Amino acid sequence: MFDYVPGKEGWYEDNGPREGQATDEIWIGDVADSTVPTCHLKERVGELRDRVRADGRDTCVAIDPQGIVLGLLRNRALEASPQATAEEVMAPGPKTFRPNVTLQELLKSMRDHDIQTNSLVTAADGRLLGVISRADAEATFAHEGTVEAAP
Amino acid sequence: MPSQVFSTADVRRLLEQGAQLLDVLGADEFAHDHLPGAINIPLKQLDASSAARLDRNRPVLVYCNDFG
Repeated sequence: MFDYVPGKEGWYEDNGPREGQATDEIWIGDVADSTVPTCHLKERVGELRDRVRADGRDTCVAIDPQGIVLGLLRNRALEASPQATAEEVMAPGPKTFRPNVTLQELLKSMRDHDIQTNSLVTAADGRLLGVISRADAEATFAHEGTVEAAP
Repeated sequence: MPSQVFSTADVRRLLEQGAQLLDVLGADEFAHDHLPGAINIPLKQLDASSAARLDRNRPVLVYCNDFG
């Protein structure tokens, strides 16, 4: 007998497949962008801004050496003094979502709280799994809705 | 005491070796989502009779929702 301690949540955090009615749902772990730029607390905004924008992005997630989310730097934070550190300008403790939240639930939360930018997807221990932007969430949901409605 | 497994890699390895996945969550939750190939016996219904569905000759890998 073996006990899989992390359970279903741990399985889904590692992008494990699922069976059941939920195979018809879009979970945010299915569509989150895991290539979002990350930084460490002591990184200088000037270097960070160049790196993030060279990648065509406007967001960076501050993480610790274990990949645990510490804060979020959006566009305004990246406009700060080049000498400032990520820690000084980040929004600490951003709201996060588990990967098995449905896209529909995330969109409702984004709309209810007027979140126009990115939402973070993390494991239960706070480890960064990816981000999903409001625009991508809306576009994916609209597209999948169209596909589902098609004959 | 069962041996504890923490990684998905170990889960996959055990399944490749013939282990059976046992989901002890409620039937509704199981119907909604579960790990591929899992057998559902809700914890409250787990007894000698219900456990007869399991193959005694293969390891059993049990899971619930999370660490809690």
